[in-house]
Amino acid sequence: MASMTFGQKSFTPSPPQKGSFPIDHQNECKKFMLKYMLCLRENKSENSLCRDESRNYLECRMEKGLMAKEEWTKLGFSDAPEPKTT
Amino acid sequence: MSEGTKSTLYYIAALGVLAFGLSYAAVPLYRIFCQAYSFGGTTQQGHDAEKVEDMKTVKDKVIRVRFNADTAASMTWNFRPQQSEIKVHPGETALAFYTARNPMDRPVIGISTYNVVPFDAGQYFNKIQCFCFEEQMLNPHEEVHMPVFFYIDPEFVDDPKMQNVDMLTLSYTFFEAREGLKLPMPQFAR
Repeated sequence: MASMTFGQKSFTPSPPQKGSFPIDHQNECKKFMLKYMLCLRENKSENSLCRDESRNYLECRMEKGLMAKEEWTKLGFSDAPEPKTT
Repeated sequence: MSEGTKSTLYYIAALGVLAFGLSYAAVPLYRIFCQAYSFGGTTQQGHDAEKVEDMKTVKDKVIRVRFNADTAASMTWNFRPQQSEIKVHPGETALAFYTARNPMDRPVIGISTYNVVPFDAGQYFNKIQCFCFEEQMLNPHEEVHMPVFFYIDPEFVDDPKMQNVDMLTLSYTFFEAREGLKLPMPQFAR
């Protein structure tokens, strides 16, 4: 956007709510990622049909200390048992 | 010079100084106004965590989110999305992956920023967690997957301008983090 004329919309990035994911250098959760990718491919990239797989991936991250533990409801998964909390 | 002329001159000079000062003050004032009223595409700071808990999925609207990955010319990483698109409903949290590989013999630190088009829809795109704006280090010849956990605000369907929008494109660009690197980042990011 070279000229900022009035009414010219531009995009301002915003920070993520919970910050940044630490890198999974040991690829500890890779198999959950692959399962999720497989699920997406089998279900024509429909996210609603792969909720379990995405929850499993996030659960793996929480267990390995690669993500702050959070209640599932706060992450938009309302129909699952709570993860083991610290 | 008569007294009348002098005082007129003082008034004009004072007006000039006032106008000058106001034009400087306008910059921060405008920014505050824009952020308070989400004017012109700026987003509200601090998305509500409680909102995620309470939000309802809008089942009858499907949005295709496409994924794009770029690197700056001097950045050597092999960076690509793991999926070309995901179909989501507004109000439903979704996970997406990118993969980055460092082909060099030395560790490389990258930092990324992102963009969403169409710009108008960008304000409804909320990231719960991702890998942007913070330095990420890859060891030599290392390959990692990088997740983005996001949702599209259910208020998307209430916006008349978004009625014909059924595709969003999320683009991430990685730069190599170096001294004096100036990214197009908002002030609150490090």
